[in-house]
Amino acid sequence: MHLLRKQNPLHLLITAAILALMFLLPVVIRSSTLILIFTLIIWSAYLTSCWNFVGGFAGVLPLGHSAFVGIGAYTSTVLFQTWGLSPWWGMLAGGVLAALVGVIIGIPTLKMRGAYFALATIAIGEGLRVLVENVKQVGPFNINGPSGLLIQLSKSSFAHFQFVSKVPYYYIILVMLLLVLLLTYLMMNSKIGYYLAAGGEEPEAAQALGIKVSRYKLIAMAISCFLTALGGTFYAQMMLYFYPKSIFGLDLSYEIAFIALIGGRGSILGPVLGAMLLKPVSELTRIYLGDTLPGMHLVIFGLVLIVVMRYQPKGLIVPARRLFDRLFNKPGEPEDKGPKTAIAASEAD
Amino acid sequence: MSLLEVKNVTKRFGGLTAVNAVDMHVEQGEIIGVIGPNGAGKTTLFNCIAGAFPPTNGSIRFNGQELAGKKPYQICRVGVTRTFQVVKPFASKTVLYNTVVGAFAKTNQLHEAEQRALKILRELDLYDKKDVLSRSLTLPERKRLELARALATEPQLLLLDEVMAGLRPSEVSEMLPTIRKINESGVTIIIVEHIMQAIMNLSDRIYVINFGKKIAEGDPSKVVADPEVIKAYLGDEYVAAQH
Repeated sequence: MHLLRKQNPLHLLITAAILALMFLLPVVIRSSTLILIFTLIIWSAYLTSCWNFVGGFAGVLPLGHSAFVGIGAYTSTVLFQTWGLSPWWGMLAGGVLAALVGVIIGIPTLKMRGAYFALATIAIGEGLRVLVENVKQVGPFNINGPSGLLIQLSKSSFAHFQFVSKVPYYYIILVMLLLVLLLTYLMMNSKIGYYLAAGGEEPEAAQALGIKVSRYKLIAMAISCFLTALGGTFYAQMMLYFYPKSIFGLDLSYEIAFIALIGGRGSILGPVLGAMLLKPVSELTRIYLGDTLPGMHLVIFGLVLIVVMRYQPKGLIVPARRLFDRLFNKPGEPEDKGPKTAIAASEAD
Repeated sequence: MSLLEVKNVTKRFGGLTAVNAVDMHVEQGEIIGVIGPNGAGKTTLFNCIAGAFPPTNGSIRFNGQELAGKKPYQICRVGVTRTFQVVKPFASKTVLYNTVVGAFAKTNQLHEAEQRALKILRELDLYDKKDVLSRSLTLPERKRLELARALATEPQLLLLDEVMAGLRPSEVSEMLPTIRKINESGVTIIIVEHIMQAIMNLSDRIYVINFGKKIAEGDPSKVVADPEVIKAYLGDEYVAAQH
């Protein structure tokens, strides 16, 4: 609790205002298309925040995270289709399975540095997609190969994780995002967060200080994969139809990584900022250029990434934070004390 | 029983024997100097003790516990912490953050780790710099931070790998009392160093290593008078000329 007390009251007020605005959004906006777009923006921010646990803090660049979105979506759906298990339980099961897979993948790959880890995750992600596309049946579960899965409509209820209106989905993913951001904040201010940062930056020095670097990276990987899979179930329940390319694809993996890099990886709000700026671009290009130039959004993201990496290698969160400070902190006033300073300073340099 | 007992330690890299059957013992509360010409194998011996690589042969016992073959993080947890010759700060983090990482070795609470870290920063005259990013520190400050971080793990035995290399003479004389203060607080120290002034000044006993072998040990004043040591540093001809 002492973490809360250290905050500037003005910052708390602004945070509360933004939260209120987000919770009231569906009341103000009546267009279901707009609600859907906002939901997808928040979903993107959620996935990127999950990615951030590994990509932002453990000092590696995962480029195959859609594998875990896919595991989440497929697990909850086949459990529901085959045994009628509530998607909420299926969501948990998918999370656990994804965490397991993540750890198994992580044990050999997290020892690699730089581009090698990134390449390994691309290969594993793509391998998994090809596998799912070519398999019709796993044990009792029908996964239906390349045609994907259609979730049977049942009544609109919380227990079935199915709603006619898009508004409940908006609130569910909003709460999920807020919980993940809270978790990120708590992790950054804990031993795990410090050890991850240390191991990511100078593994040799970290080891000399008693840190088993590989163990902490695996913990981060397990958390990240678990949470990512929950996002997969959410997507499946909202769209009620998905196929391997839509959910296991490389472009989703890249989109997550692009959003994180452009927004600012390793910070709490970088992924949110990135999603707010980039997801509308990808949705609009999909609506207007989807037929003529599919994948145009990735081209745009790539160009933006080049510019951002050239001028703000730590992501757009850095100038955003500077702007915020200029508007709301009096000049010369020191920033809030305590663990927050360490984080703020590390991001703002 | 000695705090640290190194027996017959050998380290080979392929055909090269970097450390050759070295014996060494360190008692509780001592400052031990390890000297020798460039490439003598000092740092290799040091790395064997710290677990950076396992010795090919021999045993290293700390409080009776075998260290040979343990990983660096395990060695830190039993109470032996090292610093690096080429300092390795977590550059994008503040001085306090760096030190807190060390302090987490003995606690799980951020608040407590911070309190311990701040205390150490005060002792090492780094308190004013606590919110500075470690990449913007000067070299002497970085060396101090390296010390602070290692001390934060609360070691029984501190291994210092050339903490004074690259410092100006005035900066060296500032560092000496700091190291002595650390020792007086109850931490045993092994120090590998090139700067003779520093090592003569600090050490209770000195080990001299050349071509991987121990060629002399004992009291600093005796060791520098040893003809073997003079030969190693200044060459055969110098010894011959003296006679």
